[in-house]
Amino acid sequence: MFKNEEMEINLGPQHPSTHGVLRVKLRLDGETITHCRPMIGYLHRGVEKICENQSFFQGQVWTDRMDYCSAVANNLGWAEANEKLFGITVPRRAQYIRTMLNEFNRLASHLIWLATHALDIGAMTVFLYAFREREDILDMNEAFCGSRLTTTAFRIGGLREDLPPGFEKMVQKFLAKFETCLEEYENLLSENRIWKKRTVGVAKLSAEDAIGLGVTGPVLRAAGVPYDIRKAFPYAAYAEMDFEVPTRTEADTYARYLVRMAEMRQSARIIQQCMDGMPEGPVMAKLPKILKAEVNEVYHATEAPKGEIGYYLVGEKGSGNPYRFHVRAPGFINLQALPKMAEGALIADIVAAIGTLDIVLGEIDR
Amino acid sequence: MSDETLPQAPETPAGPYVYDYAASPQRQIVLPKTVPVPSLRTYQAEVAAAAAADEAKWQKQLADFEVAKAKAEAEGKDAPKPPVRAVPRKDDNDMKTPWPQEAKDADLLRLQEVLGAKVEEIFEQAGELTCQVAKESILEALRLCRQDAALNYEMLADQSATHYPAAKDFAFSVVYHLTSISRRKRLRLRILVPEGFQPESACAVYPSANWMEREIYDMLGIRFANHPDMTRILCPEDWEGHPLRKDYPVVGWGQRDISFREDRGGMLERIALQKAGQLGINLKQPKAE
Amino acid sequence: MPIPTLTQSIVITLIQCLLVVIFVFVVVPLTVFAERKVLGYLQQRLGSTRVASGHVGITGWMNRGMWKWGRVPVLSYWRGIPGLVADVLKLILKEDILPAKADKFVFFIAPALSMVAAVVVFAAVSFVPGVFFTFPKWFPYLGGLPVSGGIADINVGLLWILGVASVGVYGIVLAGWASNSKYPLLGGLRSAAQMVSYEVPLALSLLAPVVLSASLNFGEMSARMATGMPALALIPQILGFLLYLTCGFAETNRLPFDMPEAENELVAGFHTEYSGMKFGFFYLAEYINMTVVAALASGFFLGGPWLLPFGLQGLLNPHLPAFLSWFGEPHAIFFVVKIIFILFTYIWVRGTIPRYRYDQVMSVAWKYLIPVALVNLLLAAVVRCFAV
Repeated sequence: MFKNEEMEINLGPQHPSTHGVLRVKLRLDGETITHCRPMIGYLHRGVEKICENQSFFQGQVWTDRMDYCSAVANNLGWAEANEKLFGITVPRRAQYIRTMLNEFNRLASHLIWLATHALDIGAMTVFLYAFREREDILDMNEAFCGSRLTTTAFRIGGLREDLPPGFEKMVQKFLAKFETCLEEYENLLSENRIWKKRTVGVAKLSAEDAIGLGVTGPVLRAAGVPYDIRKAFPYAAYAEMDFEVPTRTEADTYARYLVRMAEMRQSARIIQQCMDGMPEGPVMAKLPKILKAEVNEVYHATEAPKGEIGYYLVGEKGSGNPYRFHVRAPGFINLQALPKMAEGALIADIVAAIGTLDIVLGEIDR
Repeated sequence: MSDETLPQAPETPAGPYVYDYAASPQRQIVLPKTVPVPSLRTYQAEVAAAAAADEAKWQKQLADFEVAKAKAEAEGKDAPKPPVRAVPRKDDNDMKTPWPQEAKDADLLRLQEVLGAKVEEIFEQAGELTCQVAKESILEALRLCRQDAALNYEMLADQSATHYPAAKDFAFSVVYHLTSISRRKRLRLRILVPEGFQPESACAVYPSANWMEREIYDMLGIRFANHPDMTRILCPEDWEGHPLRKDYPVVGWGQRDISFREDRGGMLERIALQKAGQLGINLKQPKAE
Repeated sequence: MPIPTLTQSIVITLIQCLLVVIFVFVVVPLTVFAERKVLGYLQQRLGSTRVASGHVGITGWMNRGMWKWGRVPVLSYWRGIPGLVADVLKLILKEDILPAKADKFVFFIAPALSMVAAVVVFAAVSFVPGVFFTFPKWFPYLGGLPVSGGIADINVGLLWILGVASVGVYGIVLAGWASNSKYPLLGGLRSAAQMVSYEVPLALSLLAPVVLSASLNFGEMSARMATGMPALALIPQILGFLLYLTCGFAETNRLPFDMPEAENELVAGFHTEYSGMKFGFFYLAEYINMTVVAALASGFFLGGPWLLPFGLQGLLNPHLPAFLSWFGEPHAIFFVVKIIFILFTYIWVRGTIPRYRYDQVMSVAWKYLIPVALVNLLLAAVVRCFAV
């Protein structure tokens, strides 16, 4: 008389909290998820193929469009991978400016994460507070390179332009108020009972699983593994910066929240150090007009806000295009952990899990 | 519905639709002619060949000079200028091309020591360690990297593949980028596989390989043996061809230009074909593979 | 005072109904507007300041007018008001989509059911005790007749209110079921469980005033609660008020308990498949329910039409000087102000805290609210025994 049937439900591709066009096939027993399978590719544009058919300089434009929330970090990885491929030494001032903009970008990306994650869990006011600060960062992007979101901020070998006049004042103004803004978010969330109920112990991913599944970034650090590429394999000017790698051991959504909040503080610290120790000098290396590659392959990984973003480039002798271009997108690898985090949880928890992974479908589908 | 509302056929019909890459310049494929697989052995051979060619040229110049000098002396003219050996021009820029170098790193030597003949090549380039192993023993190499206490590469950071249509005895290279979090090191394992060969899946050692291998299968068509779920990941399941192969046109084969599985009457297809005919694009796709 | 005939009393009742409906349909759009503006204020933005149509049509005309008035700084804040008209017009004019596999009859009946259940509750609500106003002598047919402050002076008014309000659940459950779609079904299931659970602590928290005032009539209860309570009765009243408000949030599906329509999980919950004015009915019903909850809370706990909440009016009245005696009497304006305050609280809470998870919502009801409500009832009984 009573049949116990599981319900199959598609979360997405059009759904408010899948952060784009992610589709997750869920099998539900009541409200409990028994099976979860993410299905991606709705935003696949073939970035890798396109970049293989464009010159080394043109490819950077496409890296903006992968993870559009952290375009500068993607640009940095692309530029450095190419510099490694050609063996280019970048002037020190350019390194500092890159580091600073990259950290600003990390702030912007984490603010978007905070905004959307909180909105997913139902705290809608944080959304607008976080966007208020992000607006200032986008203004700084605009002052530096003319565009706000898809920046194409760097060039292979350095920067196109030095910092604009008055930039330092903007930075100091931002840093002066940012700490109080962070406290504002934390007042709304950190000790909020409902926020803690929704996040503590939710979507756990142990360190072992995280390393096995290749998960990087704040998700891995919240599991207690202090793996930050800025420290482990320093690039740009990070070797000269004094900062900490915040970690937690709880490996749940709340720990990831705390790690990201602490990371924002560290980013502000790095920006301050960049401004204080900014060296003088040129911002662009001396390069030939056209870059022709030699036979070489590089894999260069940098710490994007979402995790390790790696660029794999193969050069062909005498060719102006990369022979092979591959992106190790942090979101793509991190999303693999979703079934592990969501199975056995409730349907509301998968929303928290998607939010805490901080995915951007542009880079997952490429 | 009157005939006026239907789209009119172009005045000069494009003729019977035959798949023709030349119809649209973007669809032309230029297959690569070289096989850019970085390799110390190839590089050394190239350098030696270039040096030999340079030496031979110099010897020829010297010989020519001797002949010319003897001729000039015989004719009583002024002796010709002695030849100057060409020095390679030095570029005044900040570029210093990283060339492959002998492997000195302990990890590479350890791999060679344990795996012996299964390691085909080890070298360093641009500060990165590369170890090319035989395609049948990749799983063994991965397991060694994961479990050996001296190596201890915990994470498979990235896995990717490259298509080399110009190569003779292989078609793809598959690279595994391993990261050791505790030792702060990176290592690249590489296998060269021919068309149709199924390398062992790395999922047994590194679960993160699951999606990356699906992506490689989707994009390049390399199937992995013993993979738990060897399906397409980014492209739709009924997609034809593998987009990242070098013989796949940049704008695609037009699979999704019209997708009219529900267009029973063929109306939309007719319109689309007419429109495409006006633009000179051919939509009749050949069956891939 | 003349005694009205039967027909006259029917006409008067109809007029009362009309007044209540007008009240509801004025308060609800204003609440929607206030929601936008208050949320905007909380979130450091402007909220709505314009309507889409701009210059043409009714809303365009209103819009231009508002912008003209908006030169006055205070009025500029009200510029978004024509948007309400535009919203309603949009809902009315929008295509009414009927999903192919929906159960047609139930699909139609569901929004009507929640709407009717929400409005009918007002029948038992007394806005002001006694006579609201008297028709002037010259008025045709009804001259000199009094109009009381509530439509139906039911002596078991509380039962009526609880009974009718729980019919509203059916609207949501049926909507979820009739849509024949997965997300609405989940929303409907959630609301069935949630509303049934929360009705228990809600009713228990309302039992405390019943015990204290020894009545089930809305008007009598609010009068006794406001003026006839000893100081000791403050504790069960305040506790009961907080309990009632919490359950009221859950019953009206508002944050942090908006499970049936948690848009980040269930897209839009039970009304995912609804459009046009059918969706509008659900939307209206939600806001009317909010108003009902606010009216009950202010009637039972906040002193209804009296000035001070929690029975403090009774303590104040003996000490009130004669020239301030206006503040010692019941006035509908106080009632309305309290309703507005509670509606503001709704919006305030929505802007501040996140949403509970579904199982947590249930555990809050069964593990915390019901025991506390029982304790509160016990306290009320003790106060009743020894103090009244």
